[in-house]
Amino acid sequence: MSFRTIDELEAALRGADYLPDRGLSTALFLSLALEKPLLLEGEAGVGKTEAAKSLASALGARLIRLQCYEGLDVAHAVYEWNYPRQLLHIRAAQEGTVSEAELFGPEFLIRRPLLEAIDTDDPVVLLIDEIDRADEEFEAFLLEVLSDFQITIPELGTIRARRRPAVVLTSNRTRELHDALKRRALFHWIDHPSIEREVAIVKLRVPGVHERLAAQAAAFVRELRALDLAKPPGVAETIDWAMALNALGRQEIDADVVEQTLGSVLKYREDIEQVRDETLSALVDSARTASAR
Amino acid sequence: MSTGDAITRHVVTFGRVLREVGLEVGPGRVSDALRGLDAVELTRQEDVYFTLRQTLVSRHDELDLFDRAFLAWFLRAPVLPPVRLHQHEQPVARVVDVPVDRPRDGEGGATDGEPLELGASGHELLREKDFAEMTPDEFRRLRRLIQTIALTRPRRASRRRAPDPRGDLLDMRRLLRRSLRTGGDVVDRTYRARKVVPRKLVVLCDVSGSMDSYARALLLFLHAVVGSGPGVEAFAFGTRLSRLTPDLATRDPEAAIDRCTEAVVDWGAGTRIGASLKQFNDVYGRRALSRGAVVVVVSDGWEREDPDLVGREMAKIARAAYAVVWVNPLKGNPEYQPLAGGMCAALPFVDRFVAGHNLRSLEELAAVLAGIERRHAA
Repeated sequence: MSFRTIDELEAALRGADYLPDRGLSTALFLSLALEKPLLLEGEAGVGKTEAAKSLASALGARLIRLQCYEGLDVAHAVYEWNYPRQLLHIRAAQEGTVSEAELFGPEFLIRRPLLEAIDTDDPVVLLIDEIDRADEEFEAFLLEVLSDFQITIPELGTIRARRRPAVVLTSNRTRELHDALKRRALFHWIDHPSIEREVAIVKLRVPGVHERLAAQAAAFVRELRALDLAKPPGVAETIDWAMALNALGRQEIDADVVEQTLGSVLKYREDIEQVRDETLSALVDSARTASAR
Repeated sequence: MSTGDAITRHVVTFGRVLREVGLEVGPGRVSDALRGLDAVELTRQEDVYFTLRQTLVSRHDELDLFDRAFLAWFLRAPVLPPVRLHQHEQPVARVVDVPVDRPRDGEGGATDGEPLELGASGHELLREKDFAEMTPDEFRRLRRLIQTIALTRPRRASRRRAPDPRGDLLDMRRLLRRSLRTGGDVVDRTYRARKVVPRKLVVLCDVSGSMDSYARALLLFLHAVVGSGPGVEAFAFGTRLSRLTPDLATRDPEAAIDRCTEAVVDWGAGTRIGASLKQFNDVYGRRALSRGAVVVVVSDGWEREDPDLVGREMAKIARAAYAVVWVNPLKGNPEYQPLAGGMCAALPFVDRFVAGHNLRSLEELAAVLAGIERRHAA
């Protein structure tokens, strides 16, 4: 499936239960149109990973995800040989009848996400999540793969992509990425959504939620983000929290219920204590007023 | 002239405007921008804005500059001229340093450099001399020595492995290929071992008035540390925090220090240690810069404001870091007691407390860094 305009893509994303702002729709659209990887950065919880998942479902493509971590290597990102099977195979065969070509053939290959994304005929969205966690050596390797869309396995030869996967990279900026990688990609910074969009997201994701509850929850989370917290809540937290409040049968928030459910919005003890001690009822009031406007 | 040509000219010129304010906009980016504009509706200003931004900018901290340039260029809004990100001109004074750097070019330059000209006794004297009492000339001779010291970095085992006969993990790929000849019997084993790589190092250096005499020596040290390889981040603080890593990443220490003094506006002003540490935690700590790192704080601990804040922020740093080292030049005085409020508040979260007032104490610091162990929760 392909999209001729940004509006078309936006509509398809909405169909996949994702409400992007215009900037993100433009970024995803350009990434498809120019066939360039898209690097998404932003605070934790603004929906970077979710964007890639929704793109896949809007495209009717398979999502292949590579979660990065320190020490991620070729064996876990690209391919690995199935050593136990190889060993059994040699043992089972008559001595001297197994050739090296047979032993290192496709049936003994374990395919990891990058190889999977390149060696396929299906449309694919390749999500390379939290690339900043991988070592710099791996980043250099990835750069190579993303330039040529080919992978070389010494025993089998070079495998070329028959169709280029759409590529989305996310980073939490725990370190700066290589300039070369940035040059290769389009860049989009995702901000926290506007209040209207966050209310819309909550209503979309929490079926049956009361209009007023959605508005107050979004307004309250917005107040929290303005505080000086160790981890300001993201959209995911707003959704979780609205779900909890909805499950409690609430139609609006008050200081008591916020106190009970604060743990689904704030994930650090210091943050919860800070909000509890000083500001909780003032925040609730101000959120209720803001959402009533 | 067709509309296409006009747009091309417009975008190319805009690229030049961005380069002038310090963004890295190469021809590849400009061509992406043009291809992008080809694909979107030009009538919608928002789409044009995002297309240009997403193709021409690659860093979050450049967005603000881009926005101002975009406003000025495309919307002709009356705005202040954007500030420059980097000053590329080199200070003229740098020429003076050329002879000092020359030994580095020759083979074995590091050992043939001027430290040896000092002779053994001069060398020893220099090692013991308090930085605050050094002449500019002695200071220059100090440089090479400091560079050697800074090469010692804390290390950690990488998750990546390389062939190593003393390794702890079987190299199955090689092993299998070899065992083909023996019908599946493993005759000789091949191993892989973890490589050892430098551990992340974060240095926060107090450059306020009370630290003035030590700041230049410590900056030399910082410069050498940043030059020792990847994974080093350096910050200076007084009343607020400045990131120095980009400024220190030049090969010439004097030029680097000049750039730093330009970058740190409040050089030699008062100290707000707590507020500066908080700024570090909020901006960089949240990005996990200090996670698993050895964090070195260089300061005399004279907090002008709230010492409790120093304690709270040090606690946050200690939680994320692998280990915390505090360097206090005052500790070089045998009479010294850590009485300053900020120092008292910080000490419970410090793994190693060392001096840093002369060359010998920097050597000790390097030894501490090389052998540092993870802090153990009490």
